[in-house]
Amino acid sequence: MKKQIYSAAHKKFIQKYRVNKAIVLTTQILILVAFILCWELLTKYEVISSFFFSSPTKIAKTIKELYNSGELFYHSAITLSETLIGFAIATGIGFLVAFVLCYNNFLRRVSEPYIVVLNSLPKIALGPIIIIWFGAGQKAIIFMCILIVVIVTTLNILNSFISCDKQLIAVAKSLGANKLQTFFKLVLPSSVKDIVATLKINVGLSWIGSIMGEYMTSKAGLGYLLKYGGQVMNLNLVMTSTVLLCIMASLMYLLVALFEKLMNKIYK
Amino acid sequence: MDIVKIENLNLIYQSVKSETKALEDINLDVQPYEFVSIVGPSGCGKTTILSLIAGLIKPTSGSIKVQGETPNPKRDICGYMFQRDNLLPWRNIEKNLYFGLEIKHKKTKENKDYACELAAKYGLGEFLKKHPHELSGGMRQRVSLIRTLALKPELLLLDEPFSALDYQTRLNLCDDIFHIIKSENKTAILVTHDIQEAISMSDRIIVLSARPGKVKAVHKLDFKPSLTPFERRNTDKAKQLFDTIWQEIQNEKANI
Repeated sequence: MKKQIYSAAHKKFIQKYRVNKAIVLTTQILILVAFILCWELLTKYEVISSFFFSSPTKIAKTIKELYNSGELFYHSAITLSETLIGFAIATGIGFLVAFVLCYNNFLRRVSEPYIVVLNSLPKIALGPIIIIWFGAGQKAIIFMCILIVVIVTTLNILNSFISCDKQLIAVAKSLGANKLQTFFKLVLPSSVKDIVATLKINVGLSWIGSIMGEYMTSKAGLGYLLKYGGQVMNLNLVMTSTVLLCIMASLMYLLVALFEKLMNKIYK
Repeated sequence: MDIVKIENLNLIYQSVKSETKALEDINLDVQPYEFVSIVGPSGCGKTTILSLIAGLIKPTSGSIKVQGETPNPKRDICGYMFQRDNLLPWRNIEKNLYFGLEIKHKKTKENKDYACELAAKYGLGEFLKKHPHELSGGMRQRVSLIRTLALKPELLLLDEPFSALDYQTRLNLCDDIFHIIKSENKTAILVTHDIQEAISMSDRIIVLSARPGKVKAVHKLDFKPSLTPFERRNTDKAKQLFDTIWQEIQNEKANI
């Protein structure tokens, strides 16, 4: 593409845009810094109790201790692996089920009430059953995670498949396209945006799933640390685990957001 | 031989609440290289006729033959062009042109070159790498026609292809598409509610009655072949014919 030469007004416009962006970012960072600073100072001078609220330095200390004892990576890795496995399996199953239901009207109509019931059921209620079936271990946790993610995934992706532009499908039909061709050449590409949006929701949901599972039954993991810390009134441990969860969930979200950017470039 | 032959065709649409008689006792034939337009009040089943010819729906009774056989979208005789351009927004123009070829498993180098040649010949050569949203409505509709032509259909089914465009673009595109269809030696059936548009392009105009659609009148047109659609519009003959067809459709509306 030719490089275009822009007017001075455009330069000014771009400058203003950049300044605006910088102001937003600075404000965001300032809020975080102010929050941490207030937290630290308020607990340091015991305006609020450092026992109930912990404090940034105490959290940092706890992280260091956990790191030295090797527990930091141990617990983080366990929860992360449960989350990732649950996320992957649930997304995969949700996608496949959506694909099947999209192309078989009979199955879709038959399964509709069942999916609605499963969707409204609070999955945590199945906790005891899951433990009895899968044993008190990681299997049960991963299954809980899958259960929480899979139905929303199915519904979201199925809706997206079904809402594919009818006119485009008419074009494909007039060309004599079969169902698979229509799916891979029209339905799937036009659902890419919704699928990526579903992935974003799934990041949040799969963390809920794995932590909920660990609350239910676990011997390790960040959810375990949270529960244990709460039971022995070790607020430092609770806050530290929460911070670690925040960081890991954000990183995972960031990865999906990068994937979204890539997809947006391909499927404008 | 007739390229399309429809005899005593009836079509009834079924739905849970009622049934609708869409077409009644339609008889129609189209000769090779002819340009036939179908006009009529809205809801009279114009588009239904195209869907029947394309093989997308089956008649309730009567027969319909395209080149002597029952219509089937898997065959390569018909090219269907819709009111909307229906380009795939995530593909660039070149890849949009190949869409039909991909569906029909005909994406050979030869056919791809043919599609690009057509695009170049009709002024789209420099836009091949652009995406649909970067083109004007008229250009997109031209891409849509070339996508259809890339499959080398003998019969083009045009379903109000100009109605989504602004007036100026519509007149220009009318000339363009007429020129493309004539120079590529295609047969065409145009469905439109725009009587002037039908007069400006057709060899024959079929007027349908209000629902259920019946053939109410057939007008044969004999303009000099050298006239463009735009020039045709300004002849006295076109104005007279417009009045006649207008009256015919008006009467139908009065009957509803």
